[in-house]
Amino acid sequence: MSVTNLLENWSEFRHAHPVGDVPHDPYKWAMSIDLDACTGCNACSVACYAENNLPVVGKEKYAAGHSMHWMRIERYWPVDDTTSLEPATREFPDQGAQFLPMMCQQCEAAPCETVCPVGATNHTPDGLNSQAYNRCVGSRYCSANCPFKVRYFNWYDYPTTENVWPAEMTQQLNPDITLRSKGVMEKCTFCVQRIRAGERSVKNEGRVLKDGEVQTACQQVCPTGAITFGNLIDSESKVHQQWKAQRVELTADEQEKDKEADSGLRGYRILEELRAYPSVMYMERVRESAI
Amino acid sequence: MKDINEDIAWAKINKDVLKSLESPRKLYWVILAVAIAMISVAVGCEVYQYNMGMGVSNLNNPHVWGLYIATFIFWIGMSHSGTLLSAILHLMHADWRKPIYRFAEAMTTFSLMTAGLFVMVHLGRLWQFYYSLPYPNDRGLWPNFQSPLLWDAMAIFTYLSSSILFLFVGMIPDLAICRDNMHDGWRKKLYTWLSLGWEGTDRQWRNFRITYLTIACFLIPLAVSVHSIVASDFAMSQQPGWHVTSFPPYFVAGALYSGCAAIITLFIILRYTFKFEEYMTLSILKKTVRLTFAIAMIWTYLNAIEFASVWYGHDQPSKDVLIQKATGPYAPFWWGMIFCGSIVPLMLAFKRFQTNIPVLLVTSLLLNLGMWLERWMIVAPTFSHGYYPWTWDHNQWPSWVQWGIVFGSFGWFTLLFMVFCKVFPSVSMYEVKEMVYHRSRATKKLEASGMQAKGAH
Amino acid sequence: MIDNNFDRRDFLKVLGWGGAAVALTGCGNTSVQDGKETVVSYVEAAAYVAPGISTYFNSTCAQCEAGCSVTGRVREGRVLKLEGNADSVINRGKMCGLGQAGVQHHYNPDRVREPLLRNGDKGETITWEKAYELIAQKLNGVSGDNIDFMTGTISGHLKVLLSNYMDSLASKNHFVYEAISPAVQRAANLKSYGVEMPRFHINKAKVVLSFGADFLGAWVSPVHFSQQYAQFRKGSDGQRGVLVQVESKMTLTGANADRWLVVKPGTEGVLALGVINALGLAGLSLPAAVAAMVKPYDKERVSQETGVSTDHLVKLAAILKERSPSLVLLGSAAEGYAHGSQNAAAINLLNQVLGNVGKTIEAAASVPFPQVAPSLGNSAALRMVNNRLADGQTKVLFTYGVNPVFTAPKETNFAANMAKAGFKVAFAHYLDETALQADLVLPLDSALEDWGTHIAEYQPDGVQISIQQPLMEKLHANTRGMGDVLLTLIKKNRAAEYAAFEDYYAYVRTALLQNKRQFADVGVDDEVFWNDLLSAGLVNVAGTSNKLVAKLASEIKLPAAVDTDAKFPLRLIPSVTASLRDGRHANQPWLQESPDPLTTIVWDSWVEIHPKKAAELGIVEGDIVEVESKNGTVKAQAYLFNGIHPDAVSIPLGRGHDAMGRYAKGFGVNPFAILDRVFDDETGELAMHETLVKISKTGKRVIVVKDEGAAGGNQHGKKIAVNIASDQVELSGEA
Repeated sequence: MSVTNLLENWSEFRHAHPVGDVPHDPYKWAMSIDLDACTGCNACSVACYAENNLPVVGKEKYAAGHSMHWMRIERYWPVDDTTSLEPATREFPDQGAQFLPMMCQQCEAAPCETVCPVGATNHTPDGLNSQAYNRCVGSRYCSANCPFKVRYFNWYDYPTTENVWPAEMTQQLNPDITLRSKGVMEKCTFCVQRIRAGERSVKNEGRVLKDGEVQTACQQVCPTGAITFGNLIDSESKVHQQWKAQRVELTADEQEKDKEADSGLRGYRILEELRAYPSVMYMERVRESAI
Repeated sequence: MKDINEDIAWAKINKDVLKSLESPRKLYWVILAVAIAMISVAVGCEVYQYNMGMGVSNLNNPHVWGLYIATFIFWIGMSHSGTLLSAILHLMHADWRKPIYRFAEAMTTFSLMTAGLFVMVHLGRLWQFYYSLPYPNDRGLWPNFQSPLLWDAMAIFTYLSSSILFLFVGMIPDLAICRDNMHDGWRKKLYTWLSLGWEGTDRQWRNFRITYLTIACFLIPLAVSVHSIVASDFAMSQQPGWHVTSFPPYFVAGALYSGCAAIITLFIILRYTFKFEEYMTLSILKKTVRLTFAIAMIWTYLNAIEFASVWYGHDQPSKDVLIQKATGPYAPFWWGMIFCGSIVPLMLAFKRFQTNIPVLLVTSLLLNLGMWLERWMIVAPTFSHGYYPWTWDHNQWPSWVQWGIVFGSFGWFTLLFMVFCKVFPSVSMYEVKEMVYHRSRATKKLEASGMQAKGAH
Repeated sequence: MIDNNFDRRDFLKVLGWGGAAVALTGCGNTSVQDGKETVVSYVEAAAYVAPGISTYFNSTCAQCEAGCSVTGRVREGRVLKLEGNADSVINRGKMCGLGQAGVQHHYNPDRVREPLLRNGDKGETITWEKAYELIAQKLNGVSGDNIDFMTGTISGHLKVLLSNYMDSLASKNHFVYEAISPAVQRAANLKSYGVEMPRFHINKAKVVLSFGADFLGAWVSPVHFSQQYAQFRKGSDGQRGVLVQVESKMTLTGANADRWLVVKPGTEGVLALGVINALGLAGLSLPAAVAAMVKPYDKERVSQETGVSTDHLVKLAAILKERSPSLVLLGSAAEGYAHGSQNAAAINLLNQVLGNVGKTIEAAASVPFPQVAPSLGNSAALRMVNNRLADGQTKVLFTYGVNPVFTAPKETNFAANMAKAGFKVAFAHYLDETALQADLVLPLDSALEDWGTHIAEYQPDGVQISIQQPLMEKLHANTRGMGDVLLTLIKKNRAAEYAAFEDYYAYVRTALLQNKRQFADVGVDDEVFWNDLLSAGLVNVAGTSNKLVAKLASEIKLPAAVDTDAKFPLRLIPSVTASLRDGRHANQPWLQESPDPLTTIVWDSWVEIHPKKAAELGIVEGDIVEVESKNGTVKAQAYLFNGIHPDAVSIPLGRGHDAMGRYAKGFGVNPFAILDRVFDDETGELAMHETLVKISKTGKRVIVVKDEGAAGGNQHGKKIAVNIASDQVELSGEA
């Protein structure tokens, strides 16, 4: 082991969030999710199970809080006063529900990254919050410090657990990614295996990925196209345009929408005030005011 | 009341202490057997957990940390009082510490060892624990120096090795006494080897004093840093109920508190088991109790400060967690912590309780229960009621595996401690001799000036 | 040319193009012999199978009847994942969770692997040859009238083979059964519009008023409608579409509505007429007959009967009048009553007076080849089969793609009646409840191993014939494709006509090549055509265009008030969820662990109760409650849910299997079992919402296994999932 390696690469090793001197180049993967289009149908979540070898833990383990859904659909009931701490008191949910797909927000200043004792979770140059399963010792500090609680720990050895992947089921497993053994933390990766495969294939052509060439599994399946994924620094990409239209800045902790009362905008990031700088922008659900 | 009877002959001191290495009361063996039984429970639980995965502990998402971390902090905390008694009071020339500092130091060492085990037990892949150490490897991989958990690992290892060194160095003259008085056998060989050829020459004494003082000086900031760093695990995080600036001093106070309480407990047990009534006198116990009371009040104050700063600060999630602690499913434990930590020690303010052994035994155990609850109440409620309402989980309860390992850890600590006391002199012979000598000189001086000795100074 | 002696018409009939509305050009250069191909194993790597490189094959999703086209990702000869096929007009590259789980149907560890013959209580493994012999033997001497074939919705060449087989047995008893089907609506649509299933243009509507149509969840073609919905929300000219959902129990679509109106169960028709009346009062010109008919439905009465406030009624009429075109949809919630057809008629009438017909509702193209057009299922078929079984008319019963023992109400005694049939053959993938009652269980290839053609009932654009092709080698040596089985069976009776087809693949290939001109340019080489077809996974034909006929209902009879029963004061709403439907996919673990979107419950059934009613009955979440109807009881955990009428309780369908393997058996309860036998007055369909129940606590309580945490659906003042009023947002500037 070389100390010089440590000292020289320290600044590379950890970035708080993108700073002027080290901009993302040529990729910064990001997402936007239009909650007005999301219907809460769960297709994305199932697609994630299929793509990422997520174990089905079964009823008992689900009950114990051991589910592994990297992408979960949260269902909220609207309240009249969003700042109220009281639960919704309407007799009927006459404005419907609010669904929110929640997965790793790939924060730029990720609270999980700094605390990992072994450096198993790191920021990649293209703005992903990576998770090195082999390096993970399972201290679970990252999950403890995650504001969104989107990290999932392998409480059991699912590959050998009965009825998780019995017999023929193993043949469905995606060979592009590993099976995680017990004691390892995992989470949404923005389908990094697809990103890397895409990057490799265009590298041979001497160019960078164009918008739409890499899709995440959830994006690909989403029947209403609520999920947009792409390269935030590519001005041609839809995700870039959406962020721009909503005037959401990756490196800001307060967006236009928060500053102006009637900006007409609906883009926001969750728990922005914690300054984790998430890479996922949500667009507020719209409610018709005339009915 | 005197700290020690200054008429005790030096030979008697030797004899009494050495006797503890040979013939303790029967209770000793009972304790030992119980401790081993407790350990086997924990070992069984750990083997099960190791094979099945951490899930059997009932930890879950979001409750990724539980009793293991809480009990880890508890044991780390307990280690502090040893340092307090031996190093800090040594520097302050509080000589009443002398008969009891040895076992307090042993307690430090063994509670640190116990705490270290909890880190292991907690790890999802305990077989890869060494990844968190900066060991040489051909991939140039380093642990993450930004992580408080890494500082933790380093601080604990440093503290543990320093404590062992301090304990050992302080024991050298006594080991020589043992060597000289022991009949042949493995013990004699052990003492011979460990006493490093101690002859008691002036030069040796001089070097010894300098070394001992140096380590003591080194150990004090270390002790403070260890628990500050443990506090940093929480304070440096971003979670409501955890990112509290006052946590480091609060943790240190809590550590000293639980350590002192544990010293009272062990004081009472050792005094009886090894027939140390003459050395571990009630007067010393009283001083320890008073010290404990003072620390209890500091802890209470820091606790109140924490509540106040959360309450009046405008961080709603932290406030929610505090309210949740006081009113939610953890409320009985949280109020139990307040009761045991802040109300029960008020007993110690009464003189008649300060030397009442049964009362003190119960009280000290309650104080430690309170301090253990405190650690649990720091760790768990934040998970049950964090930033993200969707993942709130108020129903999580540790499984018997967690409880079993926590339970067994007390056995482990007891075993180590009791074996130590049987193998090594748990009362410092040379320092007690010093104490007796100083006291008798002081008494003589006082008598000469026609005044009555008052015991402590 | 074919050397057999049967004429061209018969030949077309064999291949499924008989009676075609589109002229078929000659079959000059078709060679049936060319069809004699065998599928090349992917394991014996072909040139295009490179280790580590995925190849993609198009096929058709068989998880429901919507007929979405899928692309299977295949690597090292194994299918890994299904994606939507972007060329399909139905799903345009998208999928649903149910479709994603199709691979778990294929890889399911509980598939039947060998033909099983009943031997007492046990199944004895036999060979296929023996099974075929046995069938021949059992059919021998049985009149065609006594042979029943019960299937689910079936289309394409499998249907052709099946009907030809039934023909060869001189049986007319092919019953198409779907436990959950829009059969009432089809009948009502036929009356109102002249077609059973028109095309809906949600995307062109400015307002969608849906009476319980869960078009985002489980209704007709959810993936297609979800895409329409996305466009509808964006708005055609900058004005965002408004969705109002009327139902007694919130569906996924209801959860996405701008306004969710809870109605007293069964009063959907009353509300529809009330809206028509209100529209008339608001100035919309109504035909005189209609105006007269809806006159009694003034807003006070409607409000009183339905529970919808007059204020909402007026607002609803106003927005419908103001924003045109609109679209009124009707779903199972409105259909499931004895007066379901009347409800449907009233709702269709609303569409007509709003002038939506021809704008947001159009006639679908009809399939030009009647033989391959889908046979649509309904629940009346169950009634017929059950009656025949009870009367001993059925001597031999074949079942395929249905599980009537599970989906039939207990009161029908279906299982016992089935036992009366002398010989029961189940074509099955799993040992489900029906297969367990059968004498012979024949294991089928999974949908990802089999060949086929499918035509969905709902055709958004022209007619799409979807091709199903194996995505990988068979997992189990002794399973057979349904087409192959039928071909073998039919050869016993009509050897001459079918001798040319070695297997179903050859049959399908020949059939499609035969009709090549219809699908491709003249002169395309057969091989090229066939490969292109497989590569595309689908083929579009224009279909026969139709026009809707506007027939205004002249008389709609709605019951004055919903009858109440002192003994059974509550109404049971058996809800249809997007992933579990009628229970045929309950053994796919991804679906079991995919939380119900509204309650987030997994792996179990629940009883939805309105908190008000629950408080009355002293029920809290997790109480095990007993739901008792006239015909039985089920016990399940209670879930307090605001999105349900206080006079109703709801249990989801699909769970409660006592067979079907490790992932289905023993999870939840089956509300099908306790349904009352009440039928729609006109169509004879089982009225699914007409079951009256009472509920009582059993004293047991469990922790409900769900994803929702202690905070429930409450964000506690945190800005997590936020909504914004439409007048505060500028949508036109969005990317």
